[in-house]
Amino acid sequence: MIQFKALFIKEMKEALRDKRAMMVAMMMALMAPVMIFAMSKVLISKATEKPAVYVKIIGGEYAPKLIEHFKTTNLVSFDSVPEDKKDMWDERNITLTIPDTFAKDLSEGNVIDIIFSADHSDKAMMLPIRRIERAVRAFSLSIGYKRLMVRGIDVKLLQPLNLIEQDTAQPNSSPIMITMILGMYLLMTAFMSGLPLAIDSSAGERERNVLEMLLCQPVDTLKIVLAKLSSASAIAVLGVVLTLTLTTVAIGFVDLAKIGATFSLDVYIFTALLVLLVPICVLASAMQLFFAFQSKSFKEAQSTVTMIIMVPAIMPMALMMMDDRPKWFDWTPIVGQSLLIEDLLKGIPVGWGMIGFAGLVTLIISAAFVVATAKKLKSEKVVLALS
Amino acid sequence: MIEVNNLHKSFAKVKALDGLSFTAKDGEITGILGPNGAGKTTCLRTLYGLLKADEGTATIDGINVLENPLAARKRLGIFPDKFGLYERLTAYEQIDYFASLHGLQGKAKHQAIETVIKDLEMTELAHRRTAGFSQGQRMKVTLAQALVHQPKNFVLDEPTRGLDVMSTRVLRNYLARFRENGHCILFSSHVMQEVAALCDRVVVVANGKLAAQGTPAELCELAGEKHLEEAFVKIIGSDEGVAA
Repeated sequence: MIQFKALFIKEMKEALRDKRAMMVAMMMALMAPVMIFAMSKVLISKATEKPAVYVKIIGGEYAPKLIEHFKTTNLVSFDSVPEDKKDMWDERNITLTIPDTFAKDLSEGNVIDIIFSADHSDKAMMLPIRRIERAVRAFSLSIGYKRLMVRGIDVKLLQPLNLIEQDTAQPNSSPIMITMILGMYLLMTAFMSGLPLAIDSSAGERERNVLEMLLCQPVDTLKIVLAKLSSASAIAVLGVVLTLTLTTVAIGFVDLAKIGATFSLDVYIFTALLVLLVPICVLASAMQLFFAFQSKSFKEAQSTVTMIIMVPAIMPMALMMMDDRPKWFDWTPIVGQSLLIEDLLKGIPVGWGMIGFAGLVTLIISAAFVVATAKKLKSEKVVLALS
Repeated sequence: MIEVNNLHKSFAKVKALDGLSFTAKDGEITGILGPNGAGKTTCLRTLYGLLKADEGTATIDGINVLENPLAARKRLGIFPDKFGLYERLTAYEQIDYFASLHGLQGKAKHQAIETVIKDLEMTELAHRRTAGFSQGQRMKVTLAQALVHQPKNFVLDEPTRGLDVMSTRVLRNYLARFRENGHCILFSSHVMQEVAALCDRVVVVANGKLAAQGTPAELCELAGEKHLEEAFVKIIGSDEGVAA
């Protein structure tokens, strides 16, 4: 116990005195509010604003009232496109062709063909296209209604069914985005925050020639690994707590209701997230130590270990693409937590049993990494790599 | 007492140790001399229990290093081949760390640290961070952390590398004092004058084998030379790897 205490205190002292590593460790936490403000600003503006759509209208002069109607929904003629957006809208090439017989056909009651051409496969065009279709339809209907009304027919006859269409595509997908990104961000924080310390205390010590001295001491390598793991995870947990706190504060300033998000970071969610993320911190540090101890230099360790960070980033994305995922996925580390975090942020209550089980599995895998690292440190290969 | 008996160790095709045997007795300073690549560091690393010998045994005060490395290391003070410092710790903190690793605590630990700091004349350095220390200052910190637990046996792997005269003298005096107190000191070096001045017995290692052993005078006599350096060259059979 004296030995473990000494090892742990020394690691913590070194970590806290390494200002650059601490900066990196806390970077994720400090960036969290910035990320949330930026993200919600984008999402809110997307959800509530109707940005101008510039349409190349051919024969607009034949139907001034239609053009007027377009203007009320912010569909503007391409002639008035601002210079900086000109290229983009020119490329999008949305064209509406109005025949020169518009006024004559209208007065005679003929069907008027308006030709609307745009690239329907372009995702970015989906909204503008929908808005144009709606605007044309609304204008057409309003004329139709007026025609019926002047003939003394109730326009309701035309509408035996009233489909109340709600645009679910936009506002409601934003909270899903926000929960996904926030969940991923939290996982990344758990993975990133302990990273500089884990590398420094393993590959860094080897490069500074202090590892050999430590290995010559009457200390079990398991104790050494555990002490290094504890300190790296402690810093990672610190990063997670700071991130959660700053996120809670930041979210208080954002009007999430505007984008239809329902979650709030209350005490229950805060605690549950923390309990979910602590084992991830441990697993991350255990993996980082395992790989960093095997690399020959600090630089090699940095590049190998940085690849591990991709894991928490890729997992949730892979999950998103999977429609039917097997049940056992819920129990796998990182994936399980990622799913639970998503549920928590969506406001679905999650049982403590699930949280505990996911944590337990994660800790067992971490333990395996620790034992493997301790064993590695006893092997001659590691010693020979010392010089 | 450190005993090495018939050590064999191969790395792939290279035979680093080929039946090396010697004894370093208590109350004596034993020097290991050998050209570069003779197997000195491999031999010492086997003594620390970092490497496992293919054949043969190494014992420290009768404890087999292979069977019980932790107990054997407890009786060792090690000044390794490559020594680095924890540059974000002060010298005191670093010595304290190694003292704790050897199980010292409380008053006894504090006392031990103060003693070693005083003995090595490093009171002024003690509370400074070790980043930017000179070679001599680094040697002192490493020596202090190796010896803070007052081990019965010291193993020093070329401790005088890059040291100035003053630091070398501090080291020599310090080792001589421990010899008088009955400690066993094993010392590897390239510097002949130093070995001649300091060592009671010299073990000459070449090609992983014991080439000769005895007092410096005995070795000179054996080779029929006046100076230890000439004797050494004659014993190992070439002048390759001999530093002045």
